[in-house]
Amino acid sequence: MAITNGTDGNKRSVSSLGELSRNVAPPRDLWPSIEAQIATQTAPAEATRERTRLRPTGMQWLALAAVVSALAVGIWVGRSVLPSQGAVQVAQEAPNRRAAEKGPAAAENPAATNVGVPLNANAAPVVDPNSVQAAFVSDPRYTMQRAALIRGLEAQLKTLPPDTQQKVASSLATIRTSITELQDALGKDPANALLQELLVNSYQDEMRVLTAVHEAGGTSGGI
Amino acid sequence: MSIRQPLLISLLLVAASVAHAADRDFEQTVKADPRGSVRVSNVAGKVHVTGWDRSEVEVKARFSGNVERVEVLSDKGRTTIKVILPRSSSRSGEADLEIHVPRQSDLDISAVSADVSTERLLGPQRLTTVSGDVRAEFAKDFEGKTVSGDLRLKGQSEPGDVRVSSVSGDVYLDRGGGDVEVTSVSGDLLLDVSSVTTVRTRTTSGDLSLRGALARDGSVEAETISGDVTVRVKPVAGFQYEATSFSGTIGNCFGRHAENTNAHGPGTRLNGTAGDGRGRVRVKSMSGDVAICDR
Repeated sequence: MAITNGTDGNKRSVSSLGELSRNVAPPRDLWPSIEAQIATQTAPAEATRERTRLRPTGMQWLALAAVVSALAVGIWVGRSVLPSQGAVQVAQEAPNRRAAEKGPAAAENPAATNVGVPLNANAAPVVDPNSVQAAFVSDPRYTMQRAALIRGLEAQLKTLPPDTQQKVASSLATIRTSITELQDALGKDPANALLQELLVNSYQDEMRVLTAVHEAGGTSGGI
Repeated sequence: MSIRQPLLISLLLVAASVAHAADRDFEQTVKADPRGSVRVSNVAGKVHVTGWDRSEVEVKARFSGNVERVEVLSDKGRTTIKVILPRSSSRSGEADLEIHVPRQSDLDISAVSADVSTERLLGPQRLTTVSGDVRAEFAKDFEGKTVSGDLRLKGQSEPGDVRVSSVSGDVYLDRGGGDVEVTSVSGDLLLDVSSVTTVRTRTTSGDLSLRGALARDGSVEAETISGDVTVRVKPVAGFQYEATSFSGTIGNCFGRHAENTNAHGPGTRLNGTAGDGRGRVRVKSMSGDVAICDR
């Protein structure tokens, strides 16, 4: 097949690729005009890109909303629907640090040292944060429910017969003492499954008593 | 106005209040469904319910103090008996109720300081008091709750659903059968079961004693924090047992020694099999002593 090589204006026939010249110089220097064109095209494109970056488009808004929604759903599912991770999370803190921090923590949280009837509804459950932490204690539903029950405890107790008030207070104190003992024991043996289980059940016992008092107070108010 | 009139009015008021405070009697009988529900509520005094073969509910009451009246309503198989106290009073009245209901009735009693007792009933019972004691005979399903009242319960060894809880009251259960769940914080639990399928029981500081017969494939779960636990169940087909305690001792009649679970600290465990091991017994305590036996 014959190809015509006509870059130099003198047309001649070539019979193979090897006869074609490797460098063909343009008739004039094209670079200045190319550079000028690039410069004129790049400036508006950059400006547009900047604007695009600063101002999200409709699709980007949608994507952003979807991400936020997914995140919210994820948090809700994680906190409300899924079970707590494991029955008990044991904080592996150094004993000396635990001892050092126990004083201030107890001072901040009167319920932590009070084994009688708790009156501080906003106080955290009786947990030494440096020894053990039952998973559901940090569950907001548990904390809220417990706080609500404790807020009403004093008023509900007053509606009960005096000897019953004493017995309830004594039973709650027994549970608190048990929880403290279990926490102390777990502090020395954090992986002890028996103690972990007993601790979780003791928290449930406390809730059961608070609920029983709540129900009994409602009953004695007028059945 | 002479001085006589105020004097007379005062005397009348005193007489009225004395009459009001004196004991008064009440009696009413209403038709009832043989398998209907009966709901009773009383704050103070007592409630005694007996089952009979008539299709009617009979209420006899003696009340005193500020009790206004006893209300008995019957509608569509549901009978309600209520001791009414005036809202504005100090609510210090009390009433003793003697009630007869159809034997198969579904009974629900709610009391505060009133003692509650039932007998000759075959239907399900739900009895709740705050400080009143409960004494009940039941056939199958039973639920009892008290805060400080004791519960003395007698079943008929029939399979049913038995759930009992107290805060500080003691629980005595005789001839419980089926599925039994008993919990207390500081009350002692003395449970005697017959052919029981499952037992779940727990106390915090109260002592726990379970004895009786375990059905084939039956299971027992007993737990205390500082209370002592004794489990003596005769198995129909043997059982696997596992007892663990953090600092309490574990005794048994199998001739075995509990092993230490922690080489450097407290903790003991005893496990093994009695008979062909169809059932299962698990006991846990923190500092309470544990004793386990199959006879």
